[in-house]
Amino acid sequence: MNIIGPDTLIFGVDDIDSCTQYLLDYGLESVGNGRFEALDGTGVEVKAKDDTSLPAPLETGSTLRKTIYGVADQATLDAIAEELKKDREVKQLDDGSIEAVDDMGFALGFQVTVRKTLNLPAETINAPGADNQRGLNVIGVEKEASPKPRSLSHVVYFVPDFAKAEAFYAERLGFITTDRFHGVGPFMRPAGTQDHHTVFFIQTPPHMQGIEHFTFHMGGPTEVVHAGTNMVNKGYQSFWGPGRHLLGSNWFWYFKSPFGCNVEYDADMDLHNDDWTARAIAPGADNSQAFLLQFREKWAPMGPPPAADQ
Amino acid sequence: MGTDGASTRSGSVNSMHRMIKLCHLDDLPEQNARGFDPSREGQDTVFVVRQGNHIYAYKDLCPHYGDTALPWRKDEYLDPWGGTIVCAAHGAHFEIATGLCIDGPCMGESLPKVPVQIMDNGDILVAIDEPHGGGESP
Repeated sequence: MNIIGPDTLIFGVDDIDSCTQYLLDYGLESVGNGRFEALDGTGVEVKAKDDTSLPAPLETGSTLRKTIYGVADQATLDAIAEELKKDREVKQLDDGSIEAVDDMGFALGFQVTVRKTLNLPAETINAPGADNQRGLNVIGVEKEASPKPRSLSHVVYFVPDFAKAEAFYAERLGFITTDRFHGVGPFMRPAGTQDHHTVFFIQTPPHMQGIEHFTFHMGGPTEVVHAGTNMVNKGYQSFWGPGRHLLGSNWFWYFKSPFGCNVEYDADMDLHNDDWTARAIAPGADNSQAFLLQFREKWAPMGPPPAADQ
Repeated sequence: MGTDGASTRSGSVNSMHRMIKLCHLDDLPEQNARGFDPSREGQDTVFVVRQGNHIYAYKDLCPHYGDTALPWRKDEYLDPWGGTIVCAAHGAHFEIATGLCIDGPCMGESLPKVPVQIMDNGDILVAIDEPHGGGESP
């Protein structure tokens, strides 16, 4: 099935004002009606927790109320509806999308994708021995910058049974497992993207079921760190990072949020096709990142000022 | 009320602990919370919640992972209604008066309490050398 990836995450929250300001400071654009978009039109929607248009909440009270996947075309949408109707209700919504609930109880939507094709350069670097990417006299970094999230990358769920989750997404929706942490869960990509993962499942006790974090792709590691630094300077609190994951190779920086989940910037994720063989490694700090950095206020090595007679 | 706080707490705070002033009671709005860095670690490590004339102090560490500070932005320790303490990382909710997690990933576990004392003049002091002592004031 030609599912491309998540188009929209819909949240039902207590504090709409804080969540709105958070997403604006994170770098998404407000397009009205509580919708906030990245450069390619993917995004996040914020509604009041008791908004009657939202799918029913999980018993755990997770603020994530719906994950809407973008698919390539109407034929794919029809195929998903036909598949899921075999054993569950599939609602046809007025906007042409369909809605169903997965085997864990998460509400899912599917629509012909809203993603716009981006035509933007990736971060470029110069290195000895390689053709220079950036070119002569092109500056690599500015003191001030506000890099924008480009595209909704992935969502991570806490689930009580990762094997059940993996089976549903693999067998019913055609997702492919790219890598896994033993006893924790799989990283998966739908067939319509080469990204290492658009979803990762983490095994937890049932009372934790919900969203762990969501992430937008940035243009490169410098943008991850620049955008994260801007968040720190606005008073937001880092949860984890900056650093670089091992599985997926994506640079990361996570921040806590008023959504009751973490929100990440990432960049430079590995791409895979069907030639890839999934790895399985032990979970834990040593395998969760290649390295972990830590934010520190700006600083410089300085000697004492020159003596007056020099 | 400062007198009550000091007299109530003076018997239970170990004199071996180093008491450090965080702020004055009047610096804390009612039904509000504030983080402090009394050990000068570069980030808030202790927070206090004021409910009326009661002050509760906890280490700024969510028991879920044990090393994560709670707020999503400085001093954002409470839910929008000021009814519970919230960890923004994964949405754990804690009782203000006890620190007990009543909802979320670490349900049944508790925030580490910090001994707190309100002096006669309204100064709020905490003991920073004892991570798992405990107290409420008054």
